[in-house]
Amino acid sequence: MNALIAVIMGAATVYLAYTRYARRIDRNVIQSDPKRATPATLYMDGVDFMPTNRNILFGYHFKSIAAAGPIVGAIVAANLWGWLPAMIWLVLGVAFMGWASDYSAIVLSVRNEGSSLSAVAHRLISPRTRTILFIFIFFYLLLIAGAFVGIMAQVMDSQPKTHLGMILLVAMGLLLGQMLYRWGVGLLPATALTVGIAFAAVLAGPLTEGLFKGLNEFFNSLTGGSAIVTYFDPTLAGFKGAEAKIMPSLLFWAIAICIFCYAGSVLPIWRMAQPVVYVGFWITAVAMILGLLGASLGTFIKPEVAQFQIPAFKGWNPQLGPSGIMPLWPMLFVTIACGAISGWHSLFGSVGTARQIESEADMLPVGAGAMFAEFLLGLLALLAVTVGAKGPPVAAFANGLGGFISVWGLPLEYAVSLAFATFIVIVLVVTQLIFRVMRVTLTEWLGEAIPPLRNQHVASFISVALAILLVLTGTWIYLWQLFGAANQLMAALSLLLVTIWLASVGKDWLYAGLPMIFMYVTTVGSILVTAYNLYFNVYVPNLDAGRLLPAVGSGLMVLVAVLLVVAALFIGFDGWRAFLKYLGQPAAAARAATARK
Amino acid sequence: MGSVDTHPGWKERVNSALRTLSQVLYGATGYEFARHALEMRRQAETLFMLATMGQLVGVPILPPISALRLIPHFMPDIARWKREMASQKEIWEREEFELHGV
Repeated sequence: MNALIAVIMGAATVYLAYTRYARRIDRNVIQSDPKRATPATLYMDGVDFMPTNRNILFGYHFKSIAAAGPIVGAIVAANLWGWLPAMIWLVLGVAFMGWASDYSAIVLSVRNEGSSLSAVAHRLISPRTRTILFIFIFFYLLLIAGAFVGIMAQVMDSQPKTHLGMILLVAMGLLLGQMLYRWGVGLLPATALTVGIAFAAVLAGPLTEGLFKGLNEFFNSLTGGSAIVTYFDPTLAGFKGAEAKIMPSLLFWAIAICIFCYAGSVLPIWRMAQPVVYVGFWITAVAMILGLLGASLGTFIKPEVAQFQIPAFKGWNPQLGPSGIMPLWPMLFVTIACGAISGWHSLFGSVGTARQIESEADMLPVGAGAMFAEFLLGLLALLAVTVGAKGPPVAAFANGLGGFISVWGLPLEYAVSLAFATFIVIVLVVTQLIFRVMRVTLTEWLGEAIPPLRNQHVASFISVALAILLVLTGTWIYLWQLFGAANQLMAALSLLLVTIWLASVGKDWLYAGLPMIFMYVTTVGSILVTAYNLYFNVYVPNLDAGRLLPAVGSGLMVLVAVLLVVAALFIGFDGWRAFLKYLGQPAAAARAATARK
Repeated sequence: MGSVDTHPGWKERVNSALRTLSQVLYGATGYEFARHALEMRRQAETLFMLATMGQLVGVPILPPISALRLIPHFMPDIARWKREMASQKEIWEREEFELHGV
């Protein structure tokens, strides 16, 4: 097996699923009608509701849904179960569930006057669904923030060659915001200057490696080379578990990341968050496109970088830590979320994209098309880690992607440095946005009951502190899987809403209902498994060793898991009742579904 | 008259593909800035509307006689402002620009 065959297989999946299944559902079940007025045309206000060209909207939607998710998920899954189960899930997930979830959320909003998922849920299921959605979103953000800060601090601490690129990425983002919004410089010259400098800094990273290595050594010498915190990490030593240490240099980079995210959270979005994401987008987009093309051409030009190195299948239940279990079902299906199916896409698509759909004929190419494009991103990440093989999961990904990029003539050392930087950039820019949304969600959710939370600095500080507490548990893989579960539960909720809506208007609901049942059962099962792992693999060993912080962090994660299960049960109960109600009287529900605004 | 060839030639096809590509690229890059600039302008306009029409929603800022003089300038925006005041927005709608890529 090599990368070219996998790329061809991925392209075939996209073609067949789109033309043979998605189009059929669009034509026969949804019956999209280009002559029917969309909310964008009915309520055009120039900002929220704005008819937009389908190609522009595709680019906008793809960029909004494609981030670090498909990359990290594929890296973890390939290392736990091998590349074959990961690839099968990516293919089947996107072909039968992922596109259906994204596309249907847009359809649901377009056919309900641009209402968001929560507004439709409030009307079709029950008012408490909105509160449950808040719970999902807050913990979704908290878990992904903990996982990302943890993984990023480790990578930055161990890869000094990436530091110059990251520092100048932030500086160029700030400069770009100033140029665009204050100095009135055009987008093209501002992009050329800032992205050019950021790119040069990323590529020049290996030249400054010695300087930043010296900085790390200086920090570590402050404690005489001893660790600040020691904890038991079940993911170390080839997933057998070992003692892990937080050295001063790692803490320094974790704090630096948090300061950056804090600034991104409290500054106006145009000042920092938005332009940094923009500069980062160019770096990752170039690396990913070069990587995807390199993976295809590598088979002919440089075969050694395109051969699969890790085993196709590593087992049904690989052991993670001394007493952990990691059964392929249900854990694979939450480890790889984005790339196969993601609830976040539905939430975003129902408000951001659906209100810009110019014609109903655009719903499929934009909603399903962008999801299929994200699948290709997940496939590339899986290929990179499968051919990379050497070192821990992220290093394997960077080696693999660097190998693909080196097909274009860039020396391997610089290509791998670019790949490492790409990974950090995509995670870093996402993390600052996560803290920003987390701060706003916290204020909205609890601001009434706890007035100090309305202060953006207080809400940001609490968000960062909670994430750091989770980082100190040292188990970002468990964090990642809990995040995946929260995300997939949102996908199940979105599909549940679509199923109920389809039943309420007398349409065939099976294409959304069957994936919903699978995702619901799988996700609840995965949360229970993760809670078991956290308790026996992290909480107990750290508590027995008298390590308070990791014990508190893992205990908090077990509580989050329990909360997610309870929320899922409420949703399941309310959803089932609503489904039965509308199944019996579709006409009445159809009338109710048109009343908003 | 000979028959008209309705099939596009290779130049048209290449141009069409390039146009599509540039639109997708714009959607993934500059479009967000353009939308955000519009959003910032709308926020400023909403503030202006609130200052002049505030009596209607219980926030009297300008005396009605001054508001009357300003009405012709913001007439086209009144429908949008009414909808904005009347509709409840969740955070994922209000903070939509911050959700990208999360």
